Amino acid sequence: MSLRDRIGRRAVPRLIVALSRIRLPRRVEAAVRRATGRRGRVDLFIAYDDPLSAVAVLGLAERLAVRPVDLIVHPVVARGIEDDPAVDRKRAYAVVDAGRLLARDGVTLSRRASLEPGEVAFLAAWTMQIADPADRAAFAADAMRALWCGSEGPVDRGALATAWAARATHAGPPVDDPAATAGGERRMRRRGLYDTPIAVVHGQWFFAHERLPAIEHRLDELGWTAR
Amino acid sequence: MDRAMTTIDFFFSFRSPYSYLAAPRAFALARDHGIDVVFRGVMPMAMRGQSVPLAKRLHTLRDVGREATRLGMPFGRIHDPIGDGAVRCLRVSEHAKDVGRVEAFVLGASRAIWAQAVDVADDEGLRGVCEAAGLDWDASRAAIDDPGMAARVDANTEALLGLGQWGVPVFRLGDEVFWGQDRIEDVERALRG
Repeated sequence: MSLRDRIGRRAVPRLIVALSRIRLPRRVEAAVRRATGRRGRVDLFIAYDDPLSAVAVLGLAERLAVRPVDLIVHPVVARGIEDDPAVDRKRAYAVVDAGRLLARDGVTLSRRASLEPGEVAFLAAWTMQIADPADRAAFAADAMRALWCGSEGPVDRGALATAWAARATHAGPPVDDPAATAGGERRMRRRGLYDTPIAVVHGQWFFAHERLPAIEHRLDELGWTAR
Repeated sequence: MDRAMTTIDFFFSFRSPYSYLAAPRAFALARDHGIDVVFRGVMPMAMRGQSVPLAKRLHTLRDVGREATRLGMPFGRIHDPIGDGAVRCLRVSEHAKDVGRVEAFVLGASRAIWAQAVDVADDEGLRGVCEAAGLDWDASRAAIDDPGMAARVDANTEALLGLGQWGVPVFRLGDEVFWGQDRIEDVERALRG
């Protein structure tokens, strides 16, 4: 075996796994954070055209409500692996998969077909108009529930605007600003996050729709247990 | 149970650590539910023209590490089999199907790759895996060069793509398709009706 093979096929993968299993620094950091009165934090990157993001938002909102942990929602429009030849198949399968995952919690997915990113990009902009992170997360959950579990066919902007007004704390109509999600998309790329829904939990990240118990375990491990 | 519900096609790649995690529970479906589990080894994604970005490769190793811990499976002493190693294991697995040793071979080979750093592209490494699985080495070695075995692997790969799927592990039960090692509970739910 060549030295190159020994490094690329063995040493590097082994090192990556070993480093990912180091827990102490993050535990210490979490303990310091708690000692200074700060709450835990989960950053969740979502896309409204992604039914798996609906699974993640609804699942995390429920699970984090009983923990001293803030859910910070970052809606994005651009996502996925560049030039992915399987993108259409992934989008179609995501609807089937989300239906099964929601069914585990007794929730029914109302849509049977995927949505185009452009159809719901306005929701990402509306979300970012809400200043308070807790209200923003609450709106994301309301909108995902209405979009994926309470409607089918064309997107009902009127109903979603009503949901937005209930969570937005300032006056004025929601604005469709395409630049509103640029910051979230930039943060995703910078962290090497390539798709949604991704939850970043104090240094580790998870595809949140299928790792809800693992996220809870991570928070337990860091000391942010359920009350 | 109708006939379509008595067989599960299990699409698997030796280069996929998620396939490694799924395999023991996939084969156990046969015993737990009285059905046939048909192993279908496919070419790795990266060997059929689909790019796997660095970020995804890094995430996969970290995520599989966590999942392996949760499942109580060893993981981390790796020898990436991409290339000859994966192809040799795929062809031997077709031979193992013919002689009734596919479960032993697939479990042993995937554990060797993902938890014991065995180089299955090397005759010495693969021979140990084959013999531990109860396979004759000469017959296994012959399977590697057998065009019939190669054609069966190609057919499995085409069948996966024909289902509209791209990654593995994938389970097909009747008209339903399930992707992911953590979707076996959904397969079981479907089996229970």
